[in-house]
Amino acid sequence: MTTALTLTAAHTQALIRRLTALADDEILIAHRGGEWTGHAPILEEDIALANIAQDELGHAGLYLGLRAELDGSDPDRLAFFRTADEYTNTRLTELPRGDWAFTMIRQFLYDTFEALWLEAATRSTYAPLAAIAAKAVREEKFHVQHTALWAERLALGTPESERRTRAALNDLWPYAAQLFQPVDGEEALVAAGVLPDLSAVRARWTDLVTAHLSGTCGLTLPGTPADPAPRSVHTGHLAPLLAEMQSVARAHPDAELW
Amino acid sequence: MTQPHSTDTQWPRWEVFKQDAPNRPHQAVGSVHAGDARHALVTARNVFVRRPAAVSLWCVLETDLLTATPEELSRTPTLLDTPGEGGLYHVGLKRTNKRSMTFVDLSGTVHAAGPGDALRQASTLHPDVLAWMVFPDAAAVRTDEDPGTVESWFAPAKDKTYKQQQYYGVIGRHVGELKRAGLMPGRAAGTDDTGTGDTDMGDTGSRTPRTSEDHA
Repeated sequence: MTTALTLTAAHTQALIRRLTALADDEILIAHRGGEWTGHAPILEEDIALANIAQDELGHAGLYLGLRAELDGSDPDRLAFFRTADEYTNTRLTELPRGDWAFTMIRQFLYDTFEALWLEAATRSTYAPLAAIAAKAVREEKFHVQHTALWAERLALGTPESERRTRAALNDLWPYAAQLFQPVDGEEALVAAGVLPDLSAVRARWTDLVTAHLSGTCGLTLPGTPADPAPRSVHTGHLAPLLAEMQSVARAHPDAELW
Repeated sequence: MTQPHSTDTQWPRWEVFKQDAPNRPHQAVGSVHAGDARHALVTARNVFVRRPAAVSLWCVLETDLLTATPEELSRTPTLLDTPGEGGLYHVGLKRTNKRSMTFVDLSGTVHAAGPGDALRQASTLHPDVLAWMVFPDAAAVRTDEDPGTVESWFAPAKDKTYKQQQYYGVIGRHVGELKRAGLMPGRAAGTDDTGTGDTDMGDTGSRTPRTSEDHA
């Protein structure tokens, strides 16, 4: 029987930063996925991507729910009333949706990261995190299967789909490194077994995506930036996205029922 | 037998068979368009297993299916001569047109010389149904049964809450409330066959008698 973990004030602040970073990535990629609703190549994939986006938004709800237990914050306020300066998502998730190859390659890189991170987080010494990770990792493993399937078919499909897939990978690859940037104070939580070690997650991620994209799909992986930007660094695409995503909530800030 | 139209620009159509519980038959619940067998299964999971519980999915390419209604069979008896590989065939039956859940249930297997022979056996074994569907066992692509697949493909749906649409909040007054107050516009008797509050999926066919204001 292990004793209950006690978080110091510094631990709590770092954990809030990590939970928020995870939620911000989920919110952003869910929004970009949602932009395909009604526009995907076929009806079935329209439904599939909407499902994936809804799952990701559900995961954001789980992370922000954990944060709420720590600081009493309101997940809806965090999602709909923070500015681009306050969001801590990666640039990978905020880039415009692009074409189908861009969408599938981004989702594959992201899903693989999230599945591996969650799998490691199921062993967290912080029981509430271990519990939501066990729940979310199941969905994420299915997402990976779907997006890995698409990466393979696009890369090995027609000359045009291959060209688009190579272009998407070249564009996206440098941004993926930001997923592995720790938040302030994260090292102490890793040492306490609360959070997964990002460098270990990264090693597994690199093995898996290299085996699939380079091995199975025959794509050439671009070089990785030596010093990826911290999560506070965004592109110009974030602010317009938030303006649209938050417009209804901001127009009706006192709405009680949705 | 359904044949792909030459003008169809979509991917091939796959019939999706969903099993809700280990002791239940697989049921034809609809179809997906997909480029290959694996894609069909993944897509079927997203389209048909987000909320309702399921434990297994099969997909069968439309060209591997032979279907007929009794009317079609009497009009075209040569359907019973449809050639193809011999072997084990699944027999699906559509028994009802009532309500919305009118799936084709897989009701057993027969050893047949080909699809036509399988249809002949199906129509002999089950003469009183609305339609028959047969396909070779070898044509079905199936989800894996390992724990990892069950966990990631099927388990999450069990935790998702499913809300019937009439329970969602509406602006103004709900149609059921208006009906009960006798404020809904009248409709001709006998044309009302789709009550908005109808959630009973039972297949007994009996309907609750309409209250008088429905036809006022």
